[in-house]
Amino acid sequence: MAPPRPTGMLGHMNTDLAPPAPPTTAAAGSIDAMKIYGVGDAEVRALDGVTVSFETGKFTAIMGPSGSGKSTLLHCLAGLDSLTAGATFVGDTYLAALNDRQLTELRRTKIGFVFQAFNLIPTLTADENIRLPMMLGGETGDEAWIDQVIATVGLKDRVHHRPSELSGGQQQRVAVARALASRPDIIFADEPTGNLDSTTGAEILDFMRRAVREFGQTIVMVTHDPNAASYADRVVFVADGKIDGELVDPTSDEIFERMKRLGH
Amino acid sequence: MAGSTSLIARKSIRARLGRTIAIVFAVMAGVSFVAGSFVLADSLTRSFDGLIEDLVQDVDLQVRGKNAFEDESFGSDNDPPAIPIEVADQLSDVDGIAVIEPDLAARAQILNSDGEPITVTGGMFGTQYQPDTLSGVELKEGRASVGPDELVVDKATATREGFELGDPVSYSTDTGIYTAELVGTVGTPDSDSFLGTSVVALDLDTALDHFGANGLVDQINVGITDGADIDAVEAKIVAALGSEYEIVDREMLIEEFQEQIGQFISIFGTGLLIFAFVTAFVAAFIINNVFQITIGQRLRELALLRAIGASGKQVRRMISIEALGVGVAGTVFGIIAGLGVAQLIVLGFNAIGAGFPSSAPVLLPRTVIVAAIVGIGVTMLSVIVPSRRAAKIPPVAAMRPELGFAAIRSRRLVVGTVTTTIGLLMLLVGLFVSPGGTFALIILAGGGALLLFLGIASVSATIATPVTRAIGWPIAKLFKTPGKLARDNVARAPRRTSSSASALMIGVALVSAAAVFASSLRESITATLERAVSADYIVQGSAGGGPGNGGFPPIIVETLAELPEISAATPFRIANAQVDDDTKTLTAVDPEAAAQLVDFDNIAGSFDDLTAMSIAIHDEAAESADLKFGDTTTVTFQNGEVRELQVDLVFADNSFGLNWFIDLELLDEVSGDETQSDVFALAALADDVDPEVGDEAVRAAFEQFPQASVQSNAEFLQEQEDQINQLLFLIGFLLLFAIVIAVIGISITLALGVFERTREIGLLRAVGMTRRQTRRAVRWEAVIVSVFGALIGVVVGTFLGVVLSQAVPENVISDLAFSPGIVVLILIGAVFAGLAAALYPSFKASNMNVLEAIATE
Ligand SMILES: Nc1ncnc2c1ncn2[C@@H]1O[C@H](COP(=O)(O)OP(=O)(O)O)[C@@H](O)[C@H]1O
Ligand SMILES: [Mg+2]
Repeated sequence: MAPPRPTGMLGHMNTDLAPPAPPTTAAAGSIDAMKIYGVGDAEVRALDGVTVSFETGKFTAIMGPSGSGKSTLLHCLAGLDSLTAGATFVGDTYLAALNDRQLTELRRTKIGFVFQAFNLIPTLTADENIRLPMMLGGETGDEAWIDQVIATVGLKDRVHHRPSELSGGQQQRVAVARALASRPDIIFADEPTGNLDSTTGAEILDFMRRAVREFGQTIVMVTHDPNAASYADRVVFVADGKIDGELVDPTSDEIFERMKRLGH
Repeated sequence: MAGSTSLIARKSIRARLGRTIAIVFAVMAGVSFVAGSFVLADSLTRSFDGLIEDLVQDVDLQVRGKNAFEDESFGSDNDPPAIPIEVADQLSDVDGIAVIEPDLAARAQILNSDGEPITVTGGMFGTQYQPDTLSGVELKEGRASVGPDELVVDKATATREGFELGDPVSYSTDTGIYTAELVGTVGTPDSDSFLGTSVVALDLDTALDHFGANGLVDQINVGITDGADIDAVEAKIVAALGSEYEIVDREMLIEEFQEQIGQFISIFGTGLLIFAFVTAFVAAFIINNVFQITIGQRLRELALLRAIGASGKQVRRMISIEALGVGVAGTVFGIIAGLGVAQLIVLGFNAIGAGFPSSAPVLLPRTVIVAAIVGIGVTMLSVIVPSRRAAKIPPVAAMRPELGFAAIRSRRLVVGTVTTTIGLLMLLVGLFVSPGGTFALIILAGGGALLLFLGIASVSATIATPVTRAIGWPIAKLFKTPGKLARDNVARAPRRTSSSASALMIGVALVSAAAVFASSLRESITATLERAVSADYIVQGSAGGGPGNGGFPPIIVETLAELPEISAATPFRIANAQVDDDTKTLTAVDPEAAAQLVDFDNIAGSFDDLTAMSIAIHDEAAESADLKFGDTTTVTFQNGEVRELQVDLVFADNSFGLNWFIDLELLDEVSGDETQSDVFALAALADDVDPEVGDEAVRAAFEQFPQASVQSNAEFLQEQEDQINQLLFLIGFLLLFAIVIAVIGISITLALGVFERTREIGLLRAVGMTRRQTRRAVRWEAVIVSVFGALIGVVVGTFLGVVLSQAVPENVISDLAFSPGIVVLILIGAVFAGLAAALYPSFKASNMNVLEAIATE
């Protein structure tokens, strides 16, 4: 599963030089992604030529030591940040070709998000939070699907509560439900269990894995917890802004070993 | 450790520069208006003082008539009676006198080329002018006029009207319309204008003749010979003239002038100050709100200070020092801005022709002290509650912010209701019971209103959520998710919402109160006209008026009465007199005409019964003077004439505000040759006259009298309405300052809210909210808050307007009326105010960097 390697893709994308359509099996990915913060001595290469793709219908974990560029990669893949050079795509869309309005639209319709904390709007009920992306687009969404999602996350009797009335685990479940509700092409999760105790975290991870297995959802999750990563179908390792190998269907022990070698 | 607290306070000010600037601005705005009001009043006083001294600079002594009594009531006309010109001849034999200058001021209007009186704001008058005048009137161009074919006018009027030396200029006086050649222009040493009045200056003989002075002058100015002893000269004048005349020296003249002008300046200044204090009060709301919010935002920082050993007291002191800093800064800027505000107001008034003398702004120590008390006081008061709240933050909140303010549960509803009630009671007592004096009124009514507003601001937090939800309902329906978010955000911080809305509420309440008052006044005037007046025409002096009470000459009503189309016409001529030793304002009318033209609800007798030996009295006035129908009373006129008059009419309706009437014949008889002035007049067409024909005849008759204008009832009402609207406009304009500050307050509060919700906005943007939707959410949040403020304002203001209208005497406001149009305007205005307030915060919100926003703690 070698990612495509179109040559000459350095520099910002521009429609005239648009690369060939990305492979259809990948829900999202990057080609020679380069992200540089600061200039001169203060220069930090957060991403240093990352080429990676994430398969549709798979649960992929991105692992790496703190500061290795995991979040940066995720942000750039999700259209929250732009690259210094290289390209990222979601489905068959190159993100650099989109303006702010189109990016927003893409995030709303094609991408789901789960952050580590503060995932919900405090003034909205759980139900409203779940429907938020659809509401913003003036759509009602697929009622049956949303009901099913709510039932699956086990929130049926809590949907009319506000976030402040929910436990941390429940809040995170609402966040995952929101990410699923609009049936995005891909869900990005940045340390979604980082703030939870291990039991609650396991619940969320289990639920995410079921979303992939049962509903065919694509999920990319950043984590530095080997145990969390073991829920994934595939683990991609990142170190110093570069891809440093991967494991398919790993156990947590395998991942732990691998991380130790990375000098974690 | 005071050092460490002030260090932290200083750092805190610097770290939150934007917010600090916002508070400083609010303080500055409040202070600048207060300081500006004082600076303006002081500057005016100083320049008027200079002007007065200029105007009497060479007058050593002045001979004038003697009033039989002085009327102490405000604004009353204490002009002494005129004296015969022959007195000047008697003076010429007195030793030690170098110059004798008989002087007079009379009605005289300059006409433009169409024969219409020119428009001025400061009145129009005529006087005499001679080359070696003792007064400070200074020749600016040409020379003094000689004979009836020449005249001099003030230079400001000549410039404005484009008159050149040699041009023919027409003017109208009590005796007719004249045209003469302009041979010179005059002004004061410092100005081309005499405070915005227009002046026709003629030589003495022409003046006496054309002004219809009947050989009488107002005063005779005297300049003594060099080296003569002024007291000795005065004694000789007394010896020559006897005690019939009053002799005053320059110091006395200056003092009299200053006192008169001082009264008006102090009224003007006090009026401005009221609006200035309203502005400062509104600023206090903003300051309080901003501190309250920032302390909430600094919860963790403050808790950390507590955790590492700062005492609650130190935290409180820290906040107080911060407040002191911004209070002092705001005061300093406010005083500087106040100088500008004063100049601005002068410019504004001069733009409409007030002719305020230009002068350097005068900053007295008193102004600085008051400004400092207001600026620093308002800031320190505003920060009392926030700093106490800060002091109570438990150290544990550093780790668990949710515990921060849990301990403080306020009893807003109770405190607010009690405050509102006390304020209301004070207001009612002040207005209706009026226990003694203007000062008590201001303290009770002003203090009552203050408490009322504070109380309502406090109570409004408890209704903020349901009311703003209702206001937001159509917005949420119309603008979907951004509308809903806006509505939720307003409702989630009811205290903050009500606090920033309350600032706007105050300005709106005052506008609404004024609106109710104005519509009631308009309604009452209409009702009075319908009820008490059966005239078809009302005559008033033309704009500007003249010296004294600015009326018009009797010849006008006499001419009108003689028109065959007119069945009845009477002037209303005012005279001060003492009735049994109390000074009263008497109105002289033609009894026969008055009987036809007005219906004052006679209790006993009628206007027909009045003779030159009668007096008519309003029943309440009669009661307080202890007079009954048929009684006789002694009436002393200001020139000393005394009459015994019988009460031949008692009436119940004084909607004109006039309580005492006499026969015109009596006043004529008492006044002798003195120039008479009618204040207004009523006239009715004969029944058998075609109204259109009659109207033409009446208007034709007025062509020769530019001094007065005739209006049909409808025209009169329209004019009253225009004047009331002008007043409303002025009030609205002066409240604009407070309203603008309130809108800025909403903007600051909102910006702080956006800042607080950075993460939330970042999240919304991440899951797909567009920039436009983000702007929209903030924008509608602002609109909901400002409409909420305006709504409470309208309710409170309408209530205040009703109370105020009830407190005013029945003869001024008899009917209540409301103007839904203004309410609608206010609410539409509130929507726009909200949109304006949202400009900056919505821009801020939509331009947030999504990634940074998400990363924010
Ligand atoms: N806004 C920024 N400015 C400068 N450097 C940044 C910024 N964001 C991230 N970095 C740097 O880029 C590198 C990668 O950061 P990040 O992607 O957050 O790492 P991870 O999520 O793997 O811990 C780090 O060295 C970090 O310090
Ligand atoms: Mg990270």
